[in-house]
Amino acid sequence: MNFFDLKGLLQPLGAIKQLGKNPHTIPFDELSKDASDRYRGLHYNDLEECIGCGNCSTICQNAAIDMINLDGIEGKDGDSGLRPRVDNGRCCWCALCVDVCPTGSLNLTKDYIFVSEKSADFYWIPGVDNPKAKEDDRLSFTSGADISLSDYTRVPMRELEGGERIKSFAEVVLGYNEEEARKEASRCISCSLCTEVCPDHMHIPEYINAIAKADDEAAVRIIYDNNPLPEMCGKVCTRRCEDVCAIQVRGEAVAIRWLKRYATETAPTIELMKEIIQPNVSEPNGKKVAIVGAGPSGLTAGYYLALKGYDITIYEAKAKAGGMVMYGIPKYRLPLESLDKQIGFMESIGVKIKYNTAVGKDISFDEIYENADAVFLGVGFQKAWTLGLENEDAQGSIAAVDYLDIINRGDSYDVGKKVAVIGGGNVAIDGARVSRRYGAEVTILYRRRVSEMPADWEEIEGAEDEGIHIEIQAIPTRIIVDSNNKVTGIEYLKAEMVADDKGGRPRPVAIEGSETIYECDTVIGAIGQEADYSFIPEKYLDKIEINRGMLITNEDKQTGDPKVFAGGDTVNKTADAISAIADGFIAVKSIDKMLMGK
Amino acid sequence: MSREKETTLYIGPQHPGITGNMMVKVKVKGDTVTKASVEVGYLHRAFEKLIERRNWLQSFTILCRFCVPEPDPMELTYARAVEQLEGRIVPERGQYIRTMVMEMARLQSFMLWYAGQSGSAGLYTLGQWSVGDRDYILNLFEDLTGGRVYHMYIWPGGVRRDLPKGFKDKALRVMDYLEKRLDEYDKLLFDNTIFQKRAQGVGVIPKEKAIDWGVVGAPLRGCGIKHDVRIDEPYEVYDKLDFIVPTHEGGDVWSRAQVRRIEARQSISIIRQVLEKMPEGEYYNKIPNPMKWSIPAGQAWAKTESVRGEVGFYVVSDGSEKPRRVHVKGAAYTNGVSVTEKILVGQNIADVSFILNSMGVCPPEIER
Amino acid sequence: MSDLIKENEILEQIKAAFQVEGKVSSERRTEVFADKTQVSSILLLAKNQYGFKHLNHIACIDWIEENKFELVYILYNHKTGLTLLVHTKIDRENPEMENIDTIWDQANTYEREMREMYGIEFPGLVGAKEFILEDWEDTPPMRRDFDTLNYATNTYFHQAGREDAQDVRTTISTRSGEEIPDFAKKYSRDK
Repeated sequence: MNFFDLKGLLQPLGAIKQLGKNPHTIPFDELSKDASDRYRGLHYNDLEECIGCGNCSTICQNAAIDMINLDGIEGKDGDSGLRPRVDNGRCCWCALCVDVCPTGSLNLTKDYIFVSEKSADFYWIPGVDNPKAKEDDRLSFTSGADISLSDYTRVPMRELEGGERIKSFAEVVLGYNEEEARKEASRCISCSLCTEVCPDHMHIPEYINAIAKADDEAAVRIIYDNNPLPEMCGKVCTRRCEDVCAIQVRGEAVAIRWLKRYATETAPTIELMKEIIQPNVSEPNGKKVAIVGAGPSGLTAGYYLALKGYDITIYEAKAKAGGMVMYGIPKYRLPLESLDKQIGFMESIGVKIKYNTAVGKDISFDEIYENADAVFLGVGFQKAWTLGLENEDAQGSIAAVDYLDIINRGDSYDVGKKVAVIGGGNVAIDGARVSRRYGAEVTILYRRRVSEMPADWEEIEGAEDEGIHIEIQAIPTRIIVDSNNKVTGIEYLKAEMVADDKGGRPRPVAIEGSETIYECDTVIGAIGQEADYSFIPEKYLDKIEINRGMLITNEDKQTGDPKVFAGGDTVNKTADAISAIADGFIAVKSIDKMLMGK
Repeated sequence: MSREKETTLYIGPQHPGITGNMMVKVKVKGDTVTKASVEVGYLHRAFEKLIERRNWLQSFTILCRFCVPEPDPMELTYARAVEQLEGRIVPERGQYIRTMVMEMARLQSFMLWYAGQSGSAGLYTLGQWSVGDRDYILNLFEDLTGGRVYHMYIWPGGVRRDLPKGFKDKALRVMDYLEKRLDEYDKLLFDNTIFQKRAQGVGVIPKEKAIDWGVVGAPLRGCGIKHDVRIDEPYEVYDKLDFIVPTHEGGDVWSRAQVRRIEARQSISIIRQVLEKMPEGEYYNKIPNPMKWSIPAGQAWAKTESVRGEVGFYVVSDGSEKPRRVHVKGAAYTNGVSVTEKILVGQNIADVSFILNSMGVCPPEIER
Repeated sequence: MSDLIKENEILEQIKAAFQVEGKVSSERRTEVFADKTQVSSILLLAKNQYGFKHLNHIACIDWIEENKFELVYILYNHKTGLTLLVHTKIDRENPEMENIDTIWDQANTYEREMREMYGIEFPGLVGAKEFILEDWEDTPPMRRDFDTLNYATNTYFHQAGREDAQDVRTTISTRSGEEIPDFAKKYSRDK
């Protein structure tokens, strides 16, 4: 190349034309460019929305996030009370914590400048160290429900079709198969907020993780640690756990109940159950405990006390064990074989159940009290409340609990062609759906609106799918009978909802002159139940206190008489099966402490 | 007897002419290098071992730090290897966005290369210009991913977020601006006699030995051999785009610079095509809960073309939630160690960093 | 999707010459599982006769439960676009492998790193012993029995100020009175 290359020498001088131009670097103080709308700056956490699940802390791959206690934030149901703190010396601002936050409370902001001489200042508490970031519109890297890494959609559960269902008592819910169960179990983030709300405090994250890892047998063992009737719970529990699941904040809760059912169904026979659970029955310790009532609370107490080596006898008035679970829950929700299997398993480890033995009639309470070292009362609410309507004793008017009892024990009751059910709880829906399966046209009369019905929403939907009509804001006044004292109809008033001045829920007020008659052959009343304590002789009632129909116990489930314990519907206000099981479990520990001094 | 004595000099590890920290120990006689040996180890962060303790998603935050000037090919190759193991399909819009991100990363890396190459020849003006212009691309990245240099944006299954509003217009404006600037750079650098005289005939790689020695990337294309992963084993949407892969005979610094000059313009053209053709739709095939996500057992090998050459990831899974082994082959692994040691022999000391820049040596990639 | 003719052809040719196992794992990927003594001959044959002139990568995996290291040689043929992966397993107690840097120069760098990181000996390998690490006395660090967490805890000090970190599971179970049995604890969330 010739040295005198004119073009090569002169061309570069063209750079001089840039001389007069403004530089494109920005003078920082004057025109500080704000960070972009997606900038990954310092963290911000909305302390109200945050539920302290700790998912951010788990995913942080630098181990930069700790969960700590903060002043002024108390733990409660659905909130652990802890809040994240970020060690800014370790954080790499990858924002994975934002993407996995189930509630969307953790975000990154546009602020990135922080200067301090002390290294302790770099432990940054989002939301406390920058409380105004949200109001001042500094949030930049955020995560919506559609782009979050948490899985918000539940694996759908297969059910029998509405039209198909009413032809028989076949189980409506079909259950998860293995693939569905593993997929659903992998949605759980193991935050354990559910365990606090479960009355029995089952070890939920542990057994869900076992299912996700395909260790179904370990899952069964974990479940049986404090619940001996899990297959029943897996089908009919009220699932308070799912109401506080972290995932339900922006999506659908993890199907904890269906997963429990899946795990327990992997042991379809009593022999397999024994193999998997390997119940370790201790040596007999010479103490006897008598249990009145083989409902969920009595059975739980019996099972765990038998494992500890006690001599257990349960006195059950009816022909089969299970209490309300057996005689109150229809078979399309809880099949007979399922309950038989679970109770059979308990009997196989040594729990003795004396059927058709009513305490107070077939055997006296005195005799049980004298011969046992402790007594547990799990008698439940057997008597239905009367409706208080004219002609309630007519032929064709029956309480729901009695109706279900008749059907579940295998007898029959003709409901005719049209049925009116009064009430809005699970018992009312059960009565309605059972009569529907006998071909009747069913109407439910409820005083308030559907959204206020205390029944489980799945049951209400199931009833509507099966063609049951719900007449809302209906207040019954009298039952109409013919000359043979047989029900021919029911008269009710329409009501309007009137707002309560004190801010409570609106009350239904009957509208004058709006009497309507619904013609029907049967009226089923389901407005509540109460207990029958007539089996307890007078002399015990000095110590065993009964107030407003409930047995009074201390937190150890012990009544005023130190030898007598109680649990179940007669003791707790929540009145569902899992609370009864929880009561039984607590009583086991207290009885054990009292008798063996541990 | 010659008055020249053989001395050992240490070039680096802190040296303005090397992008990163690496030491080149040269034995010189007078001005000429007689033996060179490359010593690495100043940037070893043990990433491959760290990845073995993290699960599949947490590992992706480490990957961009493998190579500082151009972090995106690392993220992309890991994502492709994991998708290969699992059989996960990336939706089309996601593929287009990934291609665009790769080309933007390539472009901003070229800007840095301009700075390094001309700076090590003593022409400092161009370095100031190109680093300033590179900032426009970094601003685009900030709008798209939230970070200027480390993006953590491409992950297995697609990309993390969609294009923000107004991105397309902004990007096209930046491309127009940069195209004009590239012409300016040409006048300053490539039409410059000084640069031509310095670059031609320097740091020659013999063509017949190039593949044997393991040369990849622009140095290989500068020897006249047309190898580019984007056309050999097309990935993402490169098979749907129209671009040329330049080669140049000669094997010296000048040829490699020519190759890069044309590639920079090709990047701009590819970004424009991608923005025109981008379809609507999903951009992410969502993974399950990351703490419980496991990949079936197997081994996968994925390659992409970064600005320096082939980047390869060999990913091994044993069926659990954590990777068993992620073995990374950075593009500069062969270019920067064994090849450099050979071609530095017989060169002038002043040309050492000049040649290193043209080989595209990036020390963080070598020792991870 | 091609019908994998070329991939199968290469596989058959190598199988015939060396009596090794192999498979075509996907489009343009042929894999061969060889004994360590056959590897260099396979590589030479592949390079000189079948056109696999590129050495893309040499990967090393520690299978501690089988007591073996696995080495994978990845070759690339630019004309046909095929990739050939040659797997071999060597003993973990006394790991030794043939040096192939006479076939490809660049293998020198890979082998130096494997010698340092895994402790694999390559007889005849020329090059400084220290490649990435400096003054390292402990076990070769990429081996799975080297515990990095342990090493970091013992070598470096922890920044004070994080002792008040709480565990969510423990906080909730203490508050509600739940007793988690030991056999269940291994299924709890790990931090």
